[in-house]
Amino acid sequence: MAANSTSPSQTGMFLRILFKSLKVRRNRVAITFCSVAIGASIITALACVYFDISAKMSRELRTYGANFFIGPKAAAGERSMGAQAGQAALKMIPPDKLIGASPYLYGLVRLDLGNAVMAGVDFPGLRRLSPYWQVEGEWVSVSFDEDSCMVGKHLAKTMELKIGYSVNVMHAENGFQRRLTVKGIAETGQAEDDQIFVNLSLAGKVLGVPGEVNHIMASVVTQGTDIDTLSTQLEREFPNLDAKPIRKVSYSDGKILDRIKGLMAIVAVIILSVTTLCVMTTLIAVVSERTREIGLMKAIGADDRGVVLQFLCEIMIIGVAGVVAGLGMGFILAQVLGQAVFGSAITFRPVVLPVALIPSLLASLAAAALPVRMALGIVPARVLKDE
Amino acid sequence: MLKIVLETVGLTKRFGNVTPLDGIDMQVREGEWVAIMGPSGSGKTTMLNILSCLDTLSEGQYILDGIDTSKVSEKERVVVRREKIGLVFQQFHLVPYLTALENVMLAQYYHGMIDRDDAIEVLNRVGLSHRYDHLPSQLSGGEQQRVCIARALINQPAIILADEPTGNLDEANEQIILDFFKELHAEGRTIVLVTHNPELAEFADRTVRLHHGKVVQHAA
Repeated sequence: MAANSTSPSQTGMFLRILFKSLKVRRNRVAITFCSVAIGASIITALACVYFDISAKMSRELRTYGANFFIGPKAAAGERSMGAQAGQAALKMIPPDKLIGASPYLYGLVRLDLGNAVMAGVDFPGLRRLSPYWQVEGEWVSVSFDEDSCMVGKHLAKTMELKIGYSVNVMHAENGFQRRLTVKGIAETGQAEDDQIFVNLSLAGKVLGVPGEVNHIMASVVTQGTDIDTLSTQLEREFPNLDAKPIRKVSYSDGKILDRIKGLMAIVAVIILSVTTLCVMTTLIAVVSERTREIGLMKAIGADDRGVVLQFLCEIMIIGVAGVVAGLGMGFILAQVLGQAVFGSAITFRPVVLPVALIPSLLASLAAAALPVRMALGIVPARVLKDE
Repeated sequence: MLKIVLETVGLTKRFGNVTPLDGIDMQVREGEWVAIMGPSGSGKTTMLNILSCLDTLSEGQYILDGIDTSKVSEKERVVVRREKIGLVFQQFHLVPYLTALENVMLAQYYHGMIDRDDAIEVLNRVGLSHRYDHLPSQLSGGEQQRVCIARALINQPAIILADEPTGNLDEANEQIILDFFKELHAEGRTIVLVTHNPELAEFADRTVRLHHGKVVQHAA
């Protein structure tokens, strides 16, 4: 018989044993691969969402109202400020971060059936700022409409106002009055339910302080300490203004995010643990199946290092393949989650790679620890005698 | 006088209160064929495990090719096993997913010197020139045992230790294997063979009979 005289190298022989060993146990390999891939995909998806959640959730949470206040310096005792100064301060907030903002000018006015607090606002800004308002009728759609108003639900009931009714607004001191049509009745569950809302320009005329505002409320998308940086920046630029985050809201935002992130971290740890156990169980079964083979290898000269090397290489090949597949699947899963929960795509961030890769590979190695120990404990004299 | 390849002095093995081997003194010279015989429970298997460095002794000495194996570490014992001993098992024990040739090369791999031509030559010698790329499952029992013998021979060991090498074979294959052992002996190989089979033992230069862990007879 003519022989091919090409001898495999030590590495070549090692790889030949390795891949034939994997091939012959393809069912076990497939189970291990799937376990690692599923674990890695969930970890990847969670990591993608985890790192994107601050931006996504912050925008989501902005539907619950203003989180930033700009007003006259409280220490100076001022109760109002120029609307232009407020607008200039607002312009310093990056447009992509500003969800909505509205100036407020408050004053006491007389309506047909009694007194009420009137708030001068910028309706388009207010609508973006307070999407949670329940409005019957419709919003005043433009900021120059001086013939329409919105009324809080409780005030509407007290003053017997309905959609389309007209109401006379009058300032008791200067006598300025204007007849307005009720376009919307708003229910907020807060103090706004007892107020009447008109455009800022009209409020300035009624109250006799045109061009003045008491303060501006804004809804700003922020992450972490961004909002404090913005506050410092604005106060440095406008020393006569107070620019403060509304702690109650921004703190709640942070708390919610921290809790969601904590929950995701716990889920990730549970998934990793389950994956590790699943892989470990499969590998223990593999070692049990291969007891005689390992005994034989030891009997004909394999040392502990050789046995460990073969096992770890096998698990690393399956582990790396599973993790790579898991990364791809995980990113797709993240997109599904992003669409389902936030209605938008999840941005892939490079930091996800090590965060998903390292724990998944470590979990695979941890899963191999016990089976490898079992393999090392195999006594050839004992297993090779078994009939 | 030929050199002593294998020597045991007061070799004793204890498992708790049980002493399967009790003070065995034995010498095997280069080129000698020694058969170890004895009834079940006489200590043959324990003896072979210790001689093949798969197990350790409790007392005494076991010197193989000049190395006192009773004084070496587990790691060194692996090296002795790898370099000095060729093992032939009753159950053949081949790696099921490797071909006949790869099973032989596996011993070369652990020895650190892979030579495909040498492996093929040894397989040719045992009459498997046409079967070297077959898996063990595609070989008959006799062919598997011949692969096992080829694997034992490939690294030119100082001694061949065989445990009932014909125990699982039919008569025809038993004869083939016996002929191999005769051939190896004629070549000057040192062989220690554990067997129940008196026909196999009668071709040995010497028979060592064990009973209750002691040597009861050295017969030429």
